[in-house]
Amino acid sequence: MIYFKDLSYSYPDGHAAIKNVNLEIKDGESIALVGANGAGKSSLFKLIVGISDIGEGSIQVDGVSVEKKTLKDIRRKVGMVFQNPDDQLFMTKVYDDVAFGPRNELLSETEVEQRVNQALEVLGIIHLKDRMPHRLSGGEKRIIAIASVLSMDPNIILFDEPTSFLDPKARRNVMETLGKLAMTKIIATHDLDMALDICDRVIILHHGSVFADGSVKDILLNEELLLNCHLELPLCMQRCKTCKN
Amino acid sequence: MHMADALLSPAVGGIMLAASAGAIAYSAYKCKDDLDEKKIPLMGVMGAVIFAGQMINFTIPGTGSSGHIGGGILLAALLGPFPAFLVISTVLLIQALFFADGGLLALGANIWNMGFYACLLVYPLIFKPIVKKGFTPRRIAVAAILSVTIALLGGAFSVVIETLASGITELPFTAFLGLMMPIHLAIGIVEGIVTAGVLVFVYKMRPEILESSLINKKISSGLSLKKVSVTLLIFAALLGGGFSLFASSNPDGLEWAMNGVAGTTQIIATGGVHENAADVQKTTAVLPGYGFKSTDGQGSAAGKSVAGLLGGGLTLLLAGGTGYIIYAVKRKKEKSA
Amino acid sequence: MSALTDSMNTIHSLEEMAEAKTIIHRLHPMVKLVTTFLYIILVVSFDPYNVTGLVVFLFYPVILMALAEIPYKPLLKRLLVALPFSFFAGISNIYFNQNAAFMVGNTPITYGVISFFSIMIKTVFTVMGVLILIATTPLPQISYQLLVIKVPKIIVEQIMLTYRYISVLLEQVSNMYTAYILRAPDAKGIKMKDMGIFVGQLLLKSFDRAENIYFAMKCRGYDGHYLYAKPDPMKKSDWIFMLSTCGMLILLRFFNLSQFIGSFLQ
Repeated sequence: MIYFKDLSYSYPDGHAAIKNVNLEIKDGESIALVGANGAGKSSLFKLIVGISDIGEGSIQVDGVSVEKKTLKDIRRKVGMVFQNPDDQLFMTKVYDDVAFGPRNELLSETEVEQRVNQALEVLGIIHLKDRMPHRLSGGEKRIIAIASVLSMDPNIILFDEPTSFLDPKARRNVMETLGKLAMTKIIATHDLDMALDICDRVIILHHGSVFADGSVKDILLNEELLLNCHLELPLCMQRCKTCKN
Repeated sequence: MHMADALLSPAVGGIMLAASAGAIAYSAYKCKDDLDEKKIPLMGVMGAVIFAGQMINFTIPGTGSSGHIGGGILLAALLGPFPAFLVISTVLLIQALFFADGGLLALGANIWNMGFYACLLVYPLIFKPIVKKGFTPRRIAVAAILSVTIALLGGAFSVVIETLASGITELPFTAFLGLMMPIHLAIGIVEGIVTAGVLVFVYKMRPEILESSLINKKISSGLSLKKVSVTLLIFAALLGGGFSLFASSNPDGLEWAMNGVAGTTQIIATGGVHENAADVQKTTAVLPGYGFKSTDGQGSAAGKSVAGLLGGGLTLLLAGGTGYIIYAVKRKKEKSA
Repeated sequence: MSALTDSMNTIHSLEEMAEAKTIIHRLHPMVKLVTTFLYIILVVSFDPYNVTGLVVFLFYPVILMALAEIPYKPLLKRLLVALPFSFFAGISNIYFNQNAAFMVGNTPITYGVISFFSIMIKTVFTVMGVLILIATTPLPQISYQLLVIKVPKIIVEQIMLTYRYISVLLEQVSNMYTAYILRAPDAKGIKMKDMGIFVGQLLLKSFDRAENIYFAMKCRGYDGHYLYAKPDPMKKSDWIFMLSTCGMLILLRFFNLSQFIGSFLQ
């Protein structure tokens, strides 16, 4: 469970990024966090994992409040997959990247191997184990980035634009992968078609505040609502005469 | 300025490896406690940036030739001297391995020539004092151009010393110097101007980057003059030791080296400051006539006989042939497999 | 820019070569490091006039390149980088030392000429030696061995990180360069006055990238220490190869095979 209570945060230059956000996220939910650029999606993520410091209010993850002294604990519970896999994968071998998290938890090398193999197998990429990340395609890197977080066995995973810059096949692959994962997922995305496909709840951020929060059906088919916050209907809906009625 | 293995003797190569290893160990020690852990990925990325950046061709107006950035002073200004030195060493290692840009035995010499002077000597002694009073475009420019040029000249000078101490080339000291220094002076000024441009830009956009590497007292607690002179003394002693090592293994080589250097110093002593035609003539007259290598005492008496020559040629053929046979056998194995 | 794509290709092809599974590739990386180093030291230890003893050292690289199935084309490219300075040094020797060493028929062979060949041959041999090392041993493996010989951890981390991001940066610089050139069609490179902004922007973006990498590390528990798996220990076969090769090289250094063979021709 994640609770956001009266959460506010401003950039160093004073500009408010998050304004008074109150949310409750239950275990196992698959949530799409949508909003225009600059709406505050990335800022929210950074606050959850403690990359940015909370201004006002609080975030509670499984009963633990997000503070400097609890960050180690929080980061074990909450994994974050960055938008750019080149920022996330910094080792010279896929195995070492996926092992990075478990090794930092000071697990034995056998346990580390177990975690790594498990993560790679669940995602269907065990064959990439000994490859060098910088030689792989964007889509492959994305999945490996997910594996590198999965190996830490988190309860919650945050995904920052997981389908951006991918070709259709890679995108489909990522979507299927995300669909397989059972833990709580918060997916920041512009890809409303993906959200329609794999999420059950949608939260819209607009200018740092929660603009709307409801089921996928209620939100993503509500054209007026979407247009009001600089979004639009998912593409697959825009031509569908049945849905428009 | 990357030196190849073939231009060094094992002694000089070894000494420079030791010297650079010492500098690296010291820098690593300085980075261990005081380094903001954020700098670790930054250093790695900067290494890649310098590596890629060195391949950028820029055109020098008026000359039609192109230049490239080096990076020692640039890195030191951005990261501080010790992290910068480690980054340069890394880049040089990768260049040596993947591109034969500099040899492996010569890596120590290259790290010293292209990293030590810029990051650990010139930056704290010249660059920092100039910009300490405050960053202004002019101060940055002066500091950059001066630092890059002096660092490059130091490196070029070391190349000459190292090559001569290795006894590989018969190029006399003054001629070698006369070739290397002016070229590197020109390169240094151009590179310094570009470095200045980059630093001024970075300062304008994100002043905190340059300021933080300056303020970080712990890391860039620079080198006192005493430490510098000690370092140079050690360098000189090692090189001197290298000379004697070299001397014991190859008396003729040392004799030649001493001739080459002694001959020119003699000229300088008698000629004084004025360079007139007579002196110049003396120089040119002396050099070709030098009886550089006396024929005896050489370990390679064999090299001078035709038998040795034929044997050598045959050996080459044998070696090449062996390689070819191995290839052929492997191909056959692959075909039948 | 061609230099950038060339570099990318060079690194890629060497990486691919290093992934082969020949007997040489399967040797422990420490063995290859040690023998390469010993080889280089022995080759450059020859005085400038002992060319006949020197040429014997062709056996090592030729045999290893054959066993490891390393093509000769990358060697030529590397020689293009390494030879010019050696060539210049050698040519200057021809000029400065014109004392005759011996005669071949009516032609005098001078000391200068001999030392010229010595330098060129040494260059070729040492370049081959390093090529064999990098074409049979991936850089991360070499770096692990540096840890074993007590090279400070921070340097090894830097080698790995720099290596990891070289391809990313090369691509970025290549894109930036192309974007520039397409708007300055008659420019043959970045104009010197634009270098400040060009490199400056690259640096700023890199600072941001590094910051993101740092965040990614922190999110996975990074606390300043990289933790690596221990490299595999050396096997008996590794020891045998290393000791016998080193022994043979040292023997060749002091026993002039060419002279020996040549004596049969007299």
